[in-house]
Parts: sequence; C-alpha cells; structure tokens
Amino acid sequence: MKLLLLTVKNMRRNLIRSTLTALGTMVLVFVFTLIWSVLSFLDAVTAEKTENLKAIVSERWQIASQMPYAYAPTLAEGAARKPADVHPVDSMTWSFYGGTIDKEKRTRENTFFAFAMAPEKLATMMDDLELKSLPAKDAAEMRRVIDLMKQKRNGTIVGWEKLKQMHKRVGDRFTVNSFNYKDIDLELEVLGQFPDGRYNQTSVINCDYLNAALDAYPQSHNGKKHDLADKALNLVWLRVPDTEAFSRVQDQIMKSPLYTQPAVKCETAASGIASFLESYRDLIWMMRWLLAPAILLTLSLVIANAISISVRERRREFAVLRVLGFRPRHILVLVVGEAVALGGFAGLASAGGTYYVIDHVFGGFNFPIAFFGAFFIPAAAILWGLGAGVATALLGSVVPAWSASGIQVTEALSKVA
Amino acid sequence: MVGRRSLRELVPPYEILRNKRVSDNGFAVRLIDIHRFFQRGSERLDVLHGLTLEVPHGEFLALMGPSGSGKTTLLNLIAGLDKPSRGEVWVGSDRISDYTESKLTPWRTRNIGFIFQFYHLLPVLTAYENVELPLLLLSLSARERRERVSTALEIVGLSQRLHHRPGQMSGGEQQRVGIARAVVTDPKLIIADEPTGDLDSRSASEILDLMQELQKSLSKSIVMVTHDPRAARRADRMRFLDKGSLVDKPPDSFLLDSQEALA
Repeated sequence: MKLLLLTVKNMRRNLIRSTLTALGTMVLVFVFTLIWSVLSFLDAVTAEKTENLKAIVSERWQIASQMPYAYAPTLAEGAARKPADVHPVDSMTWSFYGGTIDKEKRTRENTFFAFAMAPEKLATMMDDLELKSLPAKDAAEMRRVIDLMKQKRNGTIVGWEKLKQMHKRVGDRFTVNSFNYKDIDLELEVLGQFPDGRYNQTSVINCDYLNAALDAYPQSHNGKKHDLADKALNLVWLRVPDTEAFSRVQDQIMKSPLYTQPAVKCETAASGIASFLESYRDLIWMMRWLLAPAILLTLSLVIANAISISVRERRREFAVLRVLGFRPRHILVLVVGEAVALGGFAGLASAGGTYYVIDHVFGGFNFPIAFFGAFFIPAAAILWGLGAGVATALLGSVVPAWSASGIQVTEALSKVA
Repeated sequence: MVGRRSLRELVPPYEILRNKRVSDNGFAVRLIDIHRFFQRGSERLDVLHGLTLEVPHGEFLALMGPSGSGKTTLLNLIAGLDKPSRGEVWVGSDRISDYTESKLTPWRTRNIGFIFQFYHLLPVLTAYENVELPLLLLSLSARERRERVSTALEIVGLSQRLHHRPGQMSGGEQQRVGIARAVVTDPKLIIADEPTGDLDSRSASEILDLMQELQKSLSKSIVMVTHDPRAARRADRMRFLDKGSLVDKPPDSFLLDSQEALA
C-alpha cells in the first residue's frame, strides 16, 4: 500500500512532464474511443442474433433496391400462403424520399431526407425507438406524435439536430422539392421530434402521403404514371422470433412465384447491413487494423518516452533504493506502477469525458458511413479507455522499468563518491 | 543544534534503536586479505590488493585517502554492494562475501545504515516518509513503524519537521534526515560516505556531533570515508588508503590535498 502511495507521489515529481504525458494519452484515447465506438456499433449491427431478429427483404440484383409497392402486403406476411407457413411477428416498409427545402439554394442544410413508412411502426420496429424501451416521458411524447401523424398524413417527425440545421421548429411547414421522386414535391408539417439520440439527424414521413402523391401523379401528367410508381418500395423489414423462423420465412419468400419481376432476396438485418457496408470494407479495415493499432502504438511510445526520461533522471535514486534493500522487482513495480497509474487515469478521464460530452452534450457525433446517422459512445467505452491507457502504459514502461530494476548500484553511485 | 534533545534524555524510547545484536567475535567488520580488481577489456585494474582491516564493535573509524585510492570500493565491499575478487568480508558474524545478491539485499536493510554525501532523499516524500522507507521492507506494524520513525527523527532533532519535504530543508537538515533513515532499522553498522562533504563547517560539525552521539549512546559502529581531516579527527581511529593498500601514515599527495582543503 505504501509502495502504491509512493508510485502516485512520483507522478508529482515532474508535474509538467506528467501533465503533458497525461494530455497526450487523453488525446489519443479520445480518438481511439471515437474509432472504436464506430467499429463496435458496426460490429453490433452486423452480428447475427439468434432470437427476435430482423430480416430485410430487398431487390435481389440491384443496389439501391427498388421494388413495386404491390409486394408490400404479401411480404409483410412473409409470403405465407399455406396454413403451416410461418408469419413474421411484425413488419415495416421503407421508401427513401429526399429533396431540398430551397430549390434555389441546394445546401447540406437545406437537404431533407426521410424514411417514408407507416407511423405506427415507429413504435414497434425501429431500433431504440420502441416505446417499451424509452423513458416514460419520451415514450408518451412519441405516442402523441405518432397518433398525430396518423391523423395528419403530411406530418413529419424530425431529429432535433436536423431541425436546427434547417432552421425549422415543431409546427413549421415547408415544401420539399424531391431529388429522387421528380415532381413529387411534398408539403410537410413538423409534428414533433425524436428523443435525443441516434435519430437526431433522421426524418420520417408517412408512406401513405408519398403513395397518395404517386397515385395522384397521372392526373396532372396526362395519365402517365410516375417513373418510380412501381419502384417505390425500397426495403421491407420483418421481425421473426428465432433463426428457425427466419429460415422458414426466407424460404417462403425466395420460393414464392410472386416476386419475380424484380426478384427479391431475404437476409438477416445483420447480413443485409454487412452487404451494404461492403463498399466501405477498405475504410473499416483500415480503421480497425491500421488506425486503431497506430494510435495504441503511438500512445505506448509517448509513455515509453516519458518513462525513459524519468528513469534516466532517477538512476541514483533507484540505486539508493537498492542500497536500502529494495529488490529489483520493487523497482520494476514502482516504475511500471507509475506509468500504469498515469495511463489508467488519463485513459479513464478521457474516455469518461468523451462519453459524457459526445452523448450528453453533443447528442452523438456524425460519421458519414452507410445510412447511419449519429454515432454514440457506449458506456463500455469508459472501460476501453481505462484498458487502453493501462495496456499501453504497461507496454511502454516495461523496457525502461526493466532497465531501472537492473541498475548497477556501485556504478550509479560511483559518480557521487 | 536547535530542537534536538540529548540521546540520554530519550530513554526510553530511543532504546528501540540501540544496537543489541553485538556478535561474539568482537568485531563489527573484518576484512581478510581483500583483493578487488576490475577487468576493462584486456586491461586489469587492481583497486584493492591484500587489504586486511578489523573494526571492533562500537568503534568510529575514519578512512582517508586521495581520490582513486579505493575508499569507495572498500565501503561498497563492507556494505555488501560489491564482492571482493578474493578474500573474506565479515560484518559481525556474517561472512557476506559468500552471500548471493538475493540474500544480501534483505541483509543490508537490517544490518547496514547508509549516510550519503548528497543525502539522496526522495524529493517527493516528506522527512517522515523518507525515514520510513526502509521500514516498509520489514515486517512491522504501522504502530511499530510510527514509533521507530518518530524516535529516529527526534534523535536527529527534526521532530518538528516531520512533514517537510527535502526541498524545504537546509543541507544540514536533509543530512539529519539521512542519518535518521540510516539508524531507523537499528543496523549494526553505519557506513558514511563523505557525510559532511556537501555541508558548511557549522552544519558539518553538528552532523559529526550527532554521529559521535549515535556511536556512544546507541552503540553503533561507524565506518566513515572522508577527505576532511577535521571530520576524521572526530573518529576513534583513522586509517589511510593509498593505491589500494592500508597505510598507517597519510600519503604525501593526500597531505597536500588536505592542506589545500583546510586553507
């Protein structure tokens, strides 16, 4: 215990050096925490579940998937036709609708992108928005807004960050000049916003409103259907209880004669997202295997440098400790302990601070990859920070500590005598 | 010396630091036909050759000699920090020239107290914590440690400065902390390497007074290396080292150095 106290006191020996080392560690742990948060999220969404899993149905041979909306009712039932066929527990359709709220000035701020879907499905099918998983206050507000959206088909729910970006507030109305649905310009009313979190940049509109606009299109265009009228269904999400049910539903859909023009595929959400992320494979690989290790290596070198200088300066002190009866292992523990305490403290403080600031002050951080909006720092990151700080400190201090423990007492003190 | 009580006033508790482990052979240190050489490439550097020395229990011995005469090498051998190339080193009844490093390390904690020229206190620790440092290696309760440290610091007259760090103390005070650290484990033998070399004459005199008191009141044997003839005269006996051998009279080169030092 007293040796531990000595270790901590040694950190005060050169406050500037200790502070700079801690700051260097904190900056690197901060970057590491951000990177690892993105990677762990992607790992989580591409990890196969065995229970209560989601399946994605999309067009088989084309990205982006564009299926006729007529597929939706039967796909929602998992293409079940016989009494023994398996039905999904729940389902949701997605159509991607994007445009600008100022066609004269197309900027990122003016761009509006929304999932067109059935409002009720927000409460049951969207990850982290299921009412049962929300705090009571947020759940009540979401319930109110969903019910309102069912009544007002032109309603939209927008994340607070996106609203702020567009300089809009709840209750405002605006018209979207669509990029992908040419001439389907929707007038929308902001009914509410999502709870603070991963949907801060997301918007949702009622699919019935989009479909009604597509249905009305021929009336103003000499009876001609819109180009996307039969391609308005981008994704169908199905919830199934387990992997066996998924296999059955997949089989039912893939063998169904209903989906031939175009053909569809059914895969787990994890597999579907993984396919989607395939185009980011190199970027993700570099983040995981080059950037993150490079940060950890740099961190080790920063600590190794600081500890080496400290050990060189304290050669005589270690020699005196050896004279007093301290064994090499005591010296080893003192030096490694000092580095580990410093690295652990800085790592913990940095990851804890990152978690608080990113999640609770900024409401996530934007990292434009696939269709994911804001990323969040998981609470477990606090432990990663501690672990990264401790592990790199250990790695960086072993060699200087070993050299300190093997100090030749007579040699170190001979310069004095 | 301000604030320091005479050791005779401290009975008890200073008894806990009085040497009660005097061995039977009557000698604190015995060096028998000691040779020490260092190999530097193909060259052999003979530092000590055929040196024999006996220090009776309770004696205060001053070792003098010019630079490079082998004083520090001799101290290192007595302290178990180095091993002779040939010969025997006895400290009390322990023949330490045969000890392995792993046996010598704990032996040093219990049997040898060191006083260094430049004090070598840990700057981040208080006076109390510096003195307590060697006790952390012994199986003592917190209460026993507290008692020993308080007594050692009272002996050296620093009981009012327990919580001061070395940087907040004068050179003389730091050396007194160094002395308290040397006696706190109740060693048989105190080794002092130029203990007054970095002090002004007044502080040096106080340190020598203290060392004499330790010798007399706590029955410590002391071997001190010094260049200072005034310091050496405080010892019971002086021996001179010249080119690795003990001689009875100071070598001429050393006399010249000493005269310059005293001038």
